[in-house]
Amino acid sequence: MYLWDKRFHKGEKVSKMAKQSEKKKKIRKISTKLISRILPIVAVTILVLVIVSATLAKNRMTEMANETLESSISNQGDNIESWLGKNLQYFGTVKHVIESQNMTDDETVEVLNSFYSYNSNVPNGMYIGTSEGELITAEESTFEESDVLSSTWYLQGITRVDMAYGTAHKDADGNTVISATGILDLEGDDIKVLAADVPLDSISVIVNSGVKMTDASSFLVDTNDNTILAHRDSSLVSTTLDTSNSDKLLSGAAQKLVDKDYTTSEIGDYVVAFKEISGTDWILISYIPSSIILKTVTQMGNLLSLIGLVALIIIVLAILYVVKKVIAPLGLITNHITAMSEGDFTIDVDVDSNDEIGIMAGKVTDFVSSMRGMLTSISDESEKLRSESDNSDRVSKIMYDASQSQSEAMKQLNETVDQLATAVNDIAQNATTLATVVSDTRENSDKANESMKETVLISKKGRSDMEQLSVAMREIQAANTELVESINSVGTASEEITKIVGMIGEIAEETNLLSLNASIEAARAGEAGKGFAVVAMEIGKLAQTSAESAQNIASLIGEVRKLIDRAVGQANASAESIQENGELIQVAVGTFDQIYTNIEESNHLIEAMIEDVGKVDDVATNVAAITEEQAASAEEILATSESMVEMADDITKSSQDVADNSNELADTSHTLTSYVKKFKI
Amino acid sequence: MKKLITCLLTATLLVTTATGCSGNGLSAGSATSGKILYIVTDLNDTFRATLSEEIQAQASAQGVTLDMVETGNSVEEQAAQVAQAKSAGYSAIILRLSDASTALQMNVASNGLPIIYVNNQPDDEHLSADEFIFVGSDEEQAGQYQAEYVLNKLGNPASMDVIIFEGEEGHSGTIGRTDSVKENLKESGCDVNYVFVDYANWSDTEAQAKFDIFMKTGQNVDAIFCNNDTMALGVIEGMKEHGLDYSKIPVCGVDATSDGCASIEAGEMSFTVLQNAEGQASAAVHAASVLASGDSIKSVENATEDCKYIFVPFESVDSSNVSQYK
Repeated sequence: MYLWDKRFHKGEKVSKMAKQSEKKKKIRKISTKLISRILPIVAVTILVLVIVSATLAKNRMTEMANETLESSISNQGDNIESWLGKNLQYFGTVKHVIESQNMTDDETVEVLNSFYSYNSNVPNGMYIGTSEGELITAEESTFEESDVLSSTWYLQGITRVDMAYGTAHKDADGNTVISATGILDLEGDDIKVLAADVPLDSISVIVNSGVKMTDASSFLVDTNDNTILAHRDSSLVSTTLDTSNSDKLLSGAAQKLVDKDYTTSEIGDYVVAFKEISGTDWILISYIPSSIILKTVTQMGNLLSLIGLVALIIIVLAILYVVKKVIAPLGLITNHITAMSEGDFTIDVDVDSNDEIGIMAGKVTDFVSSMRGMLTSISDESEKLRSESDNSDRVSKIMYDASQSQSEAMKQLNETVDQLATAVNDIAQNATTLATVVSDTRENSDKANESMKETVLISKKGRSDMEQLSVAMREIQAANTELVESINSVGTASEEITKIVGMIGEIAEETNLLSLNASIEAARAGEAGKGFAVVAMEIGKLAQTSAESAQNIASLIGEVRKLIDRAVGQANASAESIQENGELIQVAVGTFDQIYTNIEESNHLIEAMIEDVGKVDDVATNVAAITEEQAASAEEILATSESMVEMADDITKSSQDVADNSNELADTSHTLTSYVKKFKI
Repeated sequence: MKKLITCLLTATLLVTTATGCSGNGLSAGSATSGKILYIVTDLNDTFRATLSEEIQAQASAQGVTLDMVETGNSVEEQAAQVAQAKSAGYSAIILRLSDASTALQMNVASNGLPIIYVNNQPDDEHLSADEFIFVGSDEEQAGQYQAEYVLNKLGNPASMDVIIFEGEEGHSGTIGRTDSVKENLKESGCDVNYVFVDYANWSDTEAQAKFDIFMKTGQNVDAIFCNNDTMALGVIEGMKEHGLDYSKIPVCGVDATSDGCASIEAGEMSFTVLQNAEGQASAAVHAASVLASGDSIKSVENATEDCKYIFVPFESVDSSNVSQYK
């Protein structure tokens, strides 16, 4: 009990400490933990994904845009080349016609007339300047040149025979044109330059409308003097592309031309591609704002970011949902386990889940129901034990009372036997006295006559004495019968005790079994059942002690019964002897009567009487011997009854022990019941 | 740390192995796998004839079987020759394009056989590393040498009147050499007045005829650049006819043909640039062997970084060293 108490207090202390540490530990929800751990990883992953995709997309799209731009400019360049080439071929054809016929000036005019307005790209038609300063044009042509020899087209023309384009210049009408010129290979020493003016506007149309990429623009530059031949912004046409230009694109492009670096590159906010127009010294420059290329990238980046954000939110929601759906039952289980640890087994864990948590909840439910069942059975058993121990207590009290009354009865018996012994001694003495008297009588028979009267008196006294003896004998007989009855009642009482003790033994055995069961259940309960195990053990020990005590009592009672049997035997024997004595006394009484009658009748028959006195002497001697034997027997009975008294005392003491034990058992079962009651089931 | 280094080394090794354009080039002459087909337009041009001769000589010198086919100017014939090369058992093709713009068609027709273009250079975009390459000389170098020589000879004048006789229109040599002359003159700061610039299609007669026409314009000339020696010789004839002093007015050619060298030795032409036919032939045959065996031209002398070109250097030839090139 002490040990148990100590354990119990220790347990309390431990749980208190646990509570304190619980208070110190801040409780963080699993969902918070999951989110705080998973979210940054996911966020970083998404961020990296977005950055990497955006970067890759940017690179790839920039590359694609560059390729598109290059493809566009190449295509456009080819178009311009082909346009130029077509026109040049046309000019060459006209030139060939003039050269092959070796025409006069008039014939030449005819040719020019016939080709006039044939090619819409040459609004003024083709014309010829001679080294004489003459200008030959088609008749319909409005072309004029005041000073042929110093004109740009003429000076350009005299540097080649094959028709080729020169640099841009203004014609008489103020239009910026490009002249295709070449010396006519004619006989004679004078020089005739065939020329055709292509307005830059036409080239601009070709350049501006030939852009194959959406949002891209192009312009054409003559590298001889960096003149812009075509530009969407017509104000820039025929201006010079200069590295000092305030426009970053134009100055950058100019720098690239200076460096002769015609690779596609980024200039300012534009991606710029270059293409040399073969057959000329022109460079076609195509550009597109980087922002347009990057717009898609930015859009994609934004979309990716949005998707990332949505994914993040979905993940958070998913975590919360999962936590609610899957992990939330844990909270319920935790509450229930907490309640359980406080001894409340009325909880009902109801989790509808098929995962580990569901299994856990199921097991907790199983555990709770098994604990509840166990505790109920322990409670029942302890209740039963308590009632049984109360019963046993009561029975042991009854037994104690019975044994006490038995002891008293034994004492009475003892006293009776004592009296009997005294009486028997008296008888013995009297018998001896009788014998002596008879002997004296015989000796004094001679004096009998004289002493007749005395004798009559004496015999009278003898008769009354014998009557008294007879009465005493009857008393002895009655006492003996009573003794036998008492002994028998002791026997009955002890039989009852044996039964009770047997019952106690059964109870103790049952208790022991219960305590064993309780120990096993306590062991199953684990830490929570430890205290209870101690109780069960204590109960087991008590049950064993009870059983042992009951055993002791049983064996003691057995011995008592043996002694009683012996006492009964001896009492019966003494009863027989007493019976015999009674009979003999009756005979003696009769004899006394006869003596008395004889004395009365035969004063004269003293002689005969003396003979008879001898007979009386013999009888008296026999009686003395018999009464002495009786006395000895009475002594033995006394001794036996004394030992019986002692034994009854022992029984009383034992039953006191039994009562004590069952009292303790009752206490223990009370404690057990109160402990079991602590659990709510 | 050791592991890291091992990983890095392994990665480097893998990258190196994966990159075709690197390492382990075959040493000269060791590659003898398969036959080589040499397709050429014709041998009318002096340089082309020399180059063809040298290619055949270098092939036998390097122990390579080489068959030469003349296709004339027919693109179709060239394409047909290229297309049948593989089935005919050739492992590489050396090709002098009749038209540089048809390179892409040849590349496609080759069925994966490597093509070594010579003499007529295709567009850069139609070349690919260790597959379709060009062996020749850097045309711009020729123009640069010419310009440098003239400027030096005339004592870096503040201005000059210049004539350029170009080869055939669109030819890589024409464009490269002409552009380079103009570029280098411009860079020198000299105020150049181009009094006559026209194609003479590599021809001496055409050059002379156009020079006659130029003379009719009455313009002054200080220097004459020709895209090849043949045209330069035509110009010299014209100058002789018109009584111009070619010792004062330098006439420059390209190719250092024997006629050209003789002219220099005679004090007529001033300067030429040797387009090393032997070097080009050797490089072409060597490259063909290397590519036929699936290796990279990286190890071949004068190969460019991108493994698309082998540029055999030009050499300047003037009266001081002309005797070496006769």
